[in-house]
Amino acid sequence: MTQLKAKAPLGKVIVITSGKGGVGKTTSAAAIAAALAKRGHKTVVIDFDVGLRNLDMIMGCERRVVFDFINVIQGEARLKQALIHDKRVETLWILPTSQTRDKDALTEEGVEKVLNELKEQFDYIICDSPAGIERGAQLAMYFADEAVVVTNPEVSSVRDSDRVLGLLASKTKRAEEEGTEVEAHVLLTRHDQRRIDAGEMMTVEDVLEILAVPLLGVIPESTAILRASNVGMPVVLDEPSAASRSYEAAVSRLLGEEVDPRAEREKKPGLFSRLFGASA
Amino acid sequence: MEKDDTGIRSDTGSKWRETFHVRGRFLTAIAIRIESERPDANFFVALDEKIKTNANLLIGAPIVLDLEAVPGFVDGTLLQNLIDAIRSRGLLLFGVQNASAEQRTVAEKAGLIPVLIGRDAPTHKVRAEASGPMRSVKRLENKVIRRHIRSGQMVVAERGDLTIIGSVASGAEVVASGNIHIYGTLRGRAIAGADGDENARIFCNKLEAELLAVAGLFKTSETIDPDLRSRNVQVFLEDETLRIERFL
Repeated sequence: MTQLKAKAPLGKVIVITSGKGGVGKTTSAAAIAAALAKRGHKTVVIDFDVGLRNLDMIMGCERRVVFDFINVIQGEARLKQALIHDKRVETLWILPTSQTRDKDALTEEGVEKVLNELKEQFDYIICDSPAGIERGAQLAMYFADEAVVVTNPEVSSVRDSDRVLGLLASKTKRAEEEGTEVEAHVLLTRHDQRRIDAGEMMTVEDVLEILAVPLLGVIPESTAILRASNVGMPVVLDEPSAASRSYEAAVSRLLGEEVDPRAEREKKPGLFSRLFGASA
Repeated sequence: MEKDDTGIRSDTGSKWRETFHVRGRFLTAIAIRIESERPDANFFVALDEKIKTNANLLIGAPIVLDLEAVPGFVDGTLLQNLIDAIRSRGLLLFGVQNASAEQRTVAEKAGLIPVLIGRDAPTHKVRAEASGPMRSVKRLENKVIRRHIRSGQMVVAERGDLTIIGSVASGAEVVASGNIHIYGTLRGRAIAGADGDENARIFCNKLEAELLAVAGLFKTSETIDPDLRSRNVQVFLEDETLRIERFL
């Protein structure tokens, strides 16, 4: 499917961002990239979190990093040398970042140059943003065509996401130069129906009312995600789980497909799993 | 206490190559208006009470000391004591306004900046009248915004009404010299009559505000009647108090 388009249009840049840390950006970036690639789209996922470098671990390629994003930006390596080809999915690539540099190593021109080059070769360029709203995060979103704002159903995460949505509407190339908006979606992660029922978390409806952007999907809190991360496996490439089904549904929506909500709904825990603790 | 708006924020865009850039900044400060020439124990009890009931408004907010009502308050030691006492309560006192020349000398010695450009809320009638003819000279410029105002964003209508077709998020701020209309939920801060227009009103479809202010008089979420939460309301001044009224 990948070699279909001879003169393909330029690839789409999608930033995975959130403002708040620890909400599941990198996990989501890895899962979305892997799910897109699985469907035959040539996909690259870039780590913008300079200095921390988590994406390559989640993708299970940390031992294969030789050159990185920063080397490419600074002209010390060619893009081809830095791209790591995933061993599981033919159409998936990873552009890792540097652990020894800091965010000052990112320049607007450098990022733009790398992204333009990637756009010629790939269908989807997934940018895994660092937490916060500082330079690293701003550069990750600056050239985006679309944004996935990862949010947990709790107030501080929702407020940070709202802040990020404001930046997406004003501090991006699209907003500054073209006067158009980056198309933004919310991805609700770490969703836990029991904690919502107990009144400890916000409902999906509450979050959407505040953020007022379309919902891409709801990812349940799940041990499958933890397990997958620990073995360096994007959750959608691991064995089937509620979380992987939810990510697949989210990616279908990202591609503009209609998704039957029943297909991804969490199974009601039966008596057995309730007695012995649900493991999604 | 009053709210006080000084200057206008202008964002010059993002160019991170420069080592610095100059930006206008719209600063919302809180003025503590001293009414007694010798602030005594009662003053501090009242101040502590105010801090307790309005903690999220006062703590961390930039604060100026307003000395207009106390021109006779020139004793350096007393003023210094007052400044120390306010600061020791965790309030970020940075400036002084309406100070006489003598007061200014003492205040500057204590590290306070004389704030000259502040427009005062109209608890003082004289000032409101004086600025009346001035304002009529300016052309009215109403502003209509057709999007949500996100957390951290600020929208200002300097000379007229502000209409938002959308919601105002928690952590966002909308300011107008005239009325504010919000066709959505108000979760952030709304400041109408910012130049002192006591006839300005705030209208919103759903009230969840952090702060409401008309011509300098304000209410915070803690002092808004819980029965008015999530209602469609108007907010206006009546007999020097801020009233919130439901539409039926």
